Amino acid sequence: MTQAITLRLITRQAGGGEIVRTRRIDSGEAMIGRAQGCDIYLPDLSVDPQHALMRVAGRNRVTIESLTGVAFQVDGKQTLRADLDAGRGQMASFGAFDLSVSEGAEDDIAVAVTRREEEHAPSPSLFSLKASLFGRRRMAWALGLTILALCLIVPLAGASLFRHLHIHPDQQWSTGPLSKAHAFLEKDCQSCHQAKFVAVRDQACLACHQAGRTPAQTLALNADLGRRGSPFIPRLISDHAGHDRLLKAMPPPPTLGGKVKGLFGKAFNHPNDRCASCHLEHTGPKGPVIEADRPIKPTLVVATTCGGCHGQLKSRLPSTGLIDTPDWKRHPDFRPLVTVSAEGPAPRIERIALTADPQEHSGLVFSHRQHLDPTGGVARMGVGLGAARGYGGALTCISCHRPTPGAGGFKPIEMERDCAACHALGFASAGGEIKLLPHGDAGKVMATLQAFYGGGSGAGAEPQRRLPGDFRPQSAAPRAANPAMASGAFRQAFSPGGTCYGCHRISWDGDGPMGVKVAKVHLASRFLPRGAFDHSVPAHKGDGLGAFNCVDCHKAKTSEHAEDLLLPGVAKCATCHGKTEHQTPAAASGQCADCHSYHKPGKATPTGQSRTFEAIFAPADGPARGIPGG
Amino acid sequence: MARSATVSQRRRSSTHESFLRHKGFLFLKVAVFVCVAAVAAYFFQHARPRPGGGTPLGYFLGTVGAGLIVWLALLGVRKRAVSSGHYSLKAWVSAHVYLGLSLIVIATLHTGFQFGWNVHTLAYGLMLLVIASGAIGVWAYVALPARLSENRGETTRKQMLAQIQSLDELIHEAAQGFPRDTAAIVRISLEQTDIGGGFWRRLFEDYRDCANLRALREIEAAQRTAGAHEAKALGEVAVLMRRKGDALGLARRQMHITALLEAWLFVHVPATFALLAALTVHIVSVFAYW
Repeated sequence: MTQAITLRLITRQAGGGEIVRTRRIDSGEAMIGRAQGCDIYLPDLSVDPQHALMRVAGRNRVTIESLTGVAFQVDGKQTLRADLDAGRGQMASFGAFDLSVSEGAEDDIAVAVTRREEEHAPSPSLFSLKASLFGRRRMAWALGLTILALCLIVPLAGASLFRHLHIHPDQQWSTGPLSKAHAFLEKDCQSCHQAKFVAVRDQACLACHQAGRTPAQTLALNADLGRRGSPFIPRLISDHAGHDRLLKAMPPPPTLGGKVKGLFGKAFNHPNDRCASCHLEHTGPKGPVIEADRPIKPTLVVATTCGGCHGQLKSRLPSTGLIDTPDWKRHPDFRPLVTVSAEGPAPRIERIALTADPQEHSGLVFSHRQHLDPTGGVARMGVGLGAARGYGGALTCISCHRPTPGAGGFKPIEMERDCAACHALGFASAGGEIKLLPHGDAGKVMATLQAFYGGGSGAGAEPQRRLPGDFRPQSAAPRAANPAMASGAFRQAFSPGGTCYGCHRISWDGDGPMGVKVAKVHLASRFLPRGAFDHSVPAHKGDGLGAFNCVDCHKAKTSEHAEDLLLPGVAKCATCHGKTEHQTPAAASGQCADCHSYHKPGKATPTGQSRTFEAIFAPADGPARGIPGG
Repeated sequence: MARSATVSQRRRSSTHESFLRHKGFLFLKVAVFVCVAAVAAYFFQHARPRPGGGTPLGYFLGTVGAGLIVWLALLGVRKRAVSSGHYSLKAWVSAHVYLGLSLIVIATLHTGFQFGWNVHTLAYGLMLLVIASGAIGVWAYVALPARLSENRGETTRKQMLAQIQSLDELIHEAAQGFPRDTAAIVRISLEQTDIGGGFWRRLFEDYRDCANLRALREIEAAQRTAGAHEAKALGEVAVLMRRKGDALGLARRQMHITALLEAWLFVHVPATFALLAALTVHIVSVFAYW
């Protein structure tokens, strides 16, 4: 006999608890479906009206078979037919309904029908955006931490780890492009920022720019920087003065803002006496870097003007030898380095103001007037020497003072080159060859004469009076040993009218040969080593301004004595410098840096056209390298 | 008595005076003064080589700006604590809005108009993003609550959802007699209708592919080809679906306005965190490599 099916229809109540309705089906078959007449009525639209048939298939066994070809679930698997063992308590699911099969209490098969809990009904929080987007807070933390990691931690910790990468993590910290001169360091922040949280120190700059290297060191540095991509060779920088002296000389900032800035600088270890205090990098053009717009050099911001320190220098730096100079109009008159005496182991040189009418004791006898006289004997001699030898007329300044090409100065006077054309050193002729006395050493003069005439005393030799250039070869047979001839010729040369006597101060109480004493000679190469007067500057030559002559500044035409110091005073400079064009067509600026550059006060600050590159190296396979101008 | 009078006065002030007008635009005046002072200082300074964050004024404006940013960000903390009086939340919000806007001037002058592809400009950009999103927030708080209330009428949000749910039940009930294919159409409406949807859907109120609407179109199509009895049953369901569509429209409009009201915060808050991080990077990096 077929087992009966007992249906237990369980409905859960809202407040908890269940309502159970029981129905017994004795036929052993139960129709499962959504249609109201079904034995197992499942009001769910996903269930077909007559979806499946449940049949008792044996003791405690039922079979469920889909009638519509639509599957149902048994133990989580889709199926069209299933055998269920009531002893095992299996379950079939149709839509939202579960059918649990178990052994009944009265030898029947119990089928419990329950509806699964509905999904939670939407709550009003659905109206908020939070319902549809992941949390603001999570997004906020994710973004913040990502930025901290990528932009702070990685550059701080990994700058050295990522050196080989194309983009360096600390490049994102750069506040602006570097100048052309330093652009090759853009990926190597630490070449300048050597210690973190410490402002760029001078040692970083001087690693390349320190002056005072040997030529070999300089060449090696240039080559190394070239390999690293530097377009220029570095300018080598000297200190304006000792660092401690600079600090003492610097006045406190004049403005309240400056004072506050100074206090902050001190408090935050950002001193104002560094290279980088004046030479600022990362100040390039606004916006994205356009190579052509990069400045050539770091931007210069002058921390203190020249007058700022030098206006009252003596009060802050009593040991200075400089006179306070607030501005160009109050520039003291020149105090050239004057040779007080050329005698002694070293010449004695003193700074003496031009106003004190200093005398230059060079040890020579010389008259500029005589040499520049257009009608005198010197002029006639110039004519006689002819243009082929660089003369041909009255002497001019450059007949003796030879300009140094490109250096703005003059070569030191050399007797053989600059005087000997007239003041000939020839003393004899042998076999068509003119014999010359050596210059600069009386002992060698004697040795030369003795070698020519034979050794011995020169007593009795007759001195012959000669004019400069008037060379009369000895007609006597010179080779015959005649020591007296040598001594005579020696005495003649160092006596009035002799070869040496015209220019040198000579006495016979010394320890030279035959007791001769020639005063020591010291020809100054620069009288004003802290200034930078450049004779080659076009304006200084008067180019285009009516061609100045040397004698406009140097009163050489009236100078009778070698002791006359022919330097013009500062007032002469002021006839152009500091004047307006309204006052003189040759007006020039009165800036200190025109004559005294900051880093090399004895040189003028390079300006103007030198700001363009001076090509120093031009390798065939690459762009020219030069030093940045200015 | 006195206590109740104070309470009612406070309630009145909190009800009728918006945060924008707080204390006769006190913080607007403060912000304008700060901006004018900053602009004047900018043009009177003697910045060398040019204005920027590294000049004395640049450091000063940077310090003020960074302090302001941190203080403005603290509103997120402050708003969770309830207090009253001079430092009421409304005063904070009013100051937050006006001083936040003044940051545009302060921070821009701090930059000296120098921008680049670096963390410093990143911080500046994030700050502008925060301010812009905040400005949208101000607009939303002024303009949208009225629209929200107008749309809602007398219905609460809970009622809106309950109505949709009860319509679902009615549709389910009405479709019980349907054969499988039409029942499947009804199930589309019941099971696939997404009341809210994602961020953009809510923000633009774009529900053209609503499941209920699709189901309704198909039911209407089936209705045209069905027999009289069946068409009647389909018609009943179609009527219910249209009512559901109306209920959905109301709820969705409410969600749309709510989204507009809240969307700015999804930019404002994360961008603020990002800004605080970028600001930290900006300050640390400047002093690490100075």
